[in-house]
Amino acid sequence: MALPQRKTDIGPPHYKQFLPPIIQKNYGKWKYHEVLSHGVMVHVGDSGDKLWTVRVASPRLLSTTTIREHCDVAEKFCGGFFRYTTRNNVEFLVSDEKQLEPLKKDLTARGFKMGGIGAAITNVVHTQGWVHCHSACTDASGLVKSMMDELMDYFESKTLPNKLRLAVACCVNMCGAVHCSDIAVVAVHTKVPTIAHENFKNMCELPTVIGSCPTRAISPDPANKSIKINADKCMYCGNCFTVCPPISIKDPERDGVAILVGGKINSLRSNPKFSKLVIPFISNEPPRWPKAVAAIKHIVEVYAANARKHERVGEWIERIGWERFFSLTGIDFTFQCIDDFTFMRDTMRTSSTFKW
Amino acid sequence: MKKYDTPLIDELEKGPWPSFVTEMKKAAKNNEMANDAVGHLEKCYRTKVGYWKHGGIVGVLGYGGGVIGRYSELGDEFPGVAHFHTVRLNQPSGFFYTSAALKEICDIWDKYGSGLTNVHGSTGDLVLLGTKTDALETIFAEYSSRGWDLGSSGSALRTPSCCVGPGRCEWTNYDTLDLNYALTQEFQDEIHRPMFSYKFKIKMSGCACDCVASIARADMSIIGTWKGHIEVNQDEVKNYAKNGMDINAEIVNMCPTQCISYDGKDLKINNAECSRCMHCISKMTKALKATGERGATICIGSKAPIVVGSLLSWVIVPFIKVEPPYTELKDLIRKIWEWWDDNAKPRERIGEVIEMKGMRSFLEGIGQAPIPQQIKEPRKDPFMFYTEEDMAAFKAKEAEEKKTGKYKF
Amino acid sequence: MEMAELQDKIFAFCEAAKGKKKLKEKDILIGVSTELSLEKDEVKKALREMINVGRLMYSYGGGASSVEIPSEEYLREKGMIK
Repeated sequence: MALPQRKTDIGPPHYKQFLPPIIQKNYGKWKYHEVLSHGVMVHVGDSGDKLWTVRVASPRLLSTTTIREHCDVAEKFCGGFFRYTTRNNVEFLVSDEKQLEPLKKDLTARGFKMGGIGAAITNVVHTQGWVHCHSACTDASGLVKSMMDELMDYFESKTLPNKLRLAVACCVNMCGAVHCSDIAVVAVHTKVPTIAHENFKNMCELPTVIGSCPTRAISPDPANKSIKINADKCMYCGNCFTVCPPISIKDPERDGVAILVGGKINSLRSNPKFSKLVIPFISNEPPRWPKAVAAIKHIVEVYAANARKHERVGEWIERIGWERFFSLTGIDFTFQCIDDFTFMRDTMRTSSTFKW
Repeated sequence: MKKYDTPLIDELEKGPWPSFVTEMKKAAKNNEMANDAVGHLEKCYRTKVGYWKHGGIVGVLGYGGGVIGRYSELGDEFPGVAHFHTVRLNQPSGFFYTSAALKEICDIWDKYGSGLTNVHGSTGDLVLLGTKTDALETIFAEYSSRGWDLGSSGSALRTPSCCVGPGRCEWTNYDTLDLNYALTQEFQDEIHRPMFSYKFKIKMSGCACDCVASIARADMSIIGTWKGHIEVNQDEVKNYAKNGMDINAEIVNMCPTQCISYDGKDLKINNAECSRCMHCISKMTKALKATGERGATICIGSKAPIVVGSLLSWVIVPFIKVEPPYTELKDLIRKIWEWWDDNAKPRERIGEVIEMKGMRSFLEGIGQAPIPQQIKEPRKDPFMFYTEEDMAAFKAKEAEEKKTGKYKF
Repeated sequence: MEMAELQDKIFAFCEAAKGKKKLKEKDILIGVSTELSLEKDEVKKALREMINVGRLMYSYGGGASSVEIPSEEYLREKGMIK
């Protein structure tokens, strides 16, 4: 069969054709919504029309088989209309209340998990990991699966002081704004890269490689027609490896994950915040990363037991103080927790008032 | 088809959370590429390293992005992933779909790719994972002839993305879905043909809840806000109290500007002091509603840690009207790009360039005045530039004061 | 200037940089328009035509995009040469 004629610069299809009739009718005229459970919310329009949303978890990495199953469910109960969320959940949009219970029953029978709405743990923003990325120093999907198996109750039913957003980055490039999550896992290298000098000249641009280093650890090595890396300055970010393939930084026994907490992106009550480092290193332990998972679960539980209603992790910690966070969680405070990169000035305690 | 023994990743099929390994195996059932991806991943789990090489040069004719080259170092051992390129499809605003549209996307992908996807990738594209170089032009013809264009990659405007907005949210201050569509269409050239120094991301949120994380993930964050007051429905306030809400603890005491009072009967808001953080509105959505003039705050500069640390976006334009045809906003975007283009070295995000060159250069470049809404606090150090024009203006002001006998600070 | 002549100049500009500097699209627009005293838009139009027919191509490496002269392998893949 002949190939259809390609078209360029058409952009995405217009969104209106994908909006269910109830949304077309109430577009921009929503009055309020209520969270009915972690899996279901209802939006009510000025018109009195009601739209139920049933949210279902997805592993982000989806086969076409499962996408078709989403389509089948949507056809059966939602006139074929549904959407995905920025955190990789599926949302079935129900305009006929009579379809709600049968939909939930059908989803349960198929093994889909409903949840993540409101003061809960919802799906995890994460990166590609070993599944599909060249710079991954861990597998993001495996970590997410292992974490969420342990935290399932907080997705489906258990309520927290506020929503808790988890994220996993498989290297410090952090595609996906892992740096502003309540609890973030970031995979780290811990060793100075090695260089295949013989390939440098053909594959890399000297100024680009020197410029790629945030700590100015790279200088020219004219004898080798290559570069050298100052081990006293290198913080193993791997950016030089990104711009220059002959540089190698992966090390199975020295790569691991760090845990950062207290970030948020909304402006509710307090300004958006970065996540801050609390655990500098846990070894990569595929397939289940038991220590990293235990650490995350522990932090979630200490937060759940101590934060006030509506406080996010970062707000709770700012109220009680970081010293109290470390004493409550029993996490060892290490040199890595003190910034010696760009934010040192802003992060030291410049008063004698603190807690024991 | 080769059957791989996968004891390690099989562990990830156990437990209640949906399993990505199960997804990979579903795709592997009748797809050689996905099958090899399963064996390839098991090997990563065994050796604790990845085997994907740096992205190569692949794409469709005329475009400079939308396809990301991916090759495995282990092409001989796993021929199905020797080429395993990513195709990014530009998602519709708000990630809304019909089953018919998505099934069509799946049909094409099953025919030419691995059957594996990310719905969606971090930037917002519908990501198709794993195809071969010789299939790319065909894939593009199949999708584009059915109305689906490629998304972006490389040093380009990355696929814009937005929150659900007026589609299903009572809080939105502008039509995020429409603006997202309009900007995506307006800047097709910048999306498909990488002409910048580095990537540039635009994300649109309808309010300060920022459901697309624009403040952290976009070089340009367009966050909805309003200028009027918050309308209070006192009957609904009473209902919240009746239903167990401790209004003083949960609302009044948590207001960052302390502009709310509650006497056990009526809730009052000192609107002039409200900073529009959305806490009270989001917790009492039936009782509180923003009114008056709607628009957005434009922030600039956020990015992940590479190279010199993460940045959150900061305010450059505190309020802008966001109404079709969005001329003012489009002009602003073009001015921002022009300044960035003139000042950036390769691989410098705009936030980093502003740090290097200073906000003054940037604000003058885009024709914006300095105003206190842009900052958290003024500078702490006494090292600053005075231009001849600045000094002339200071002197002129003082001369004027001498004339009028009245100081103007 | 004739389009064909301009395109030859652009090609020569890229050839001169080959193996030395990765050219961004902007580098070519500024370089060629300055050299020939032309408007940047005119150069851009000529450049885009060349990319559309595979005489030049967008490339990617080291985290950033550039414009390059296509390899034979690329041209063969796109059916530009046999």
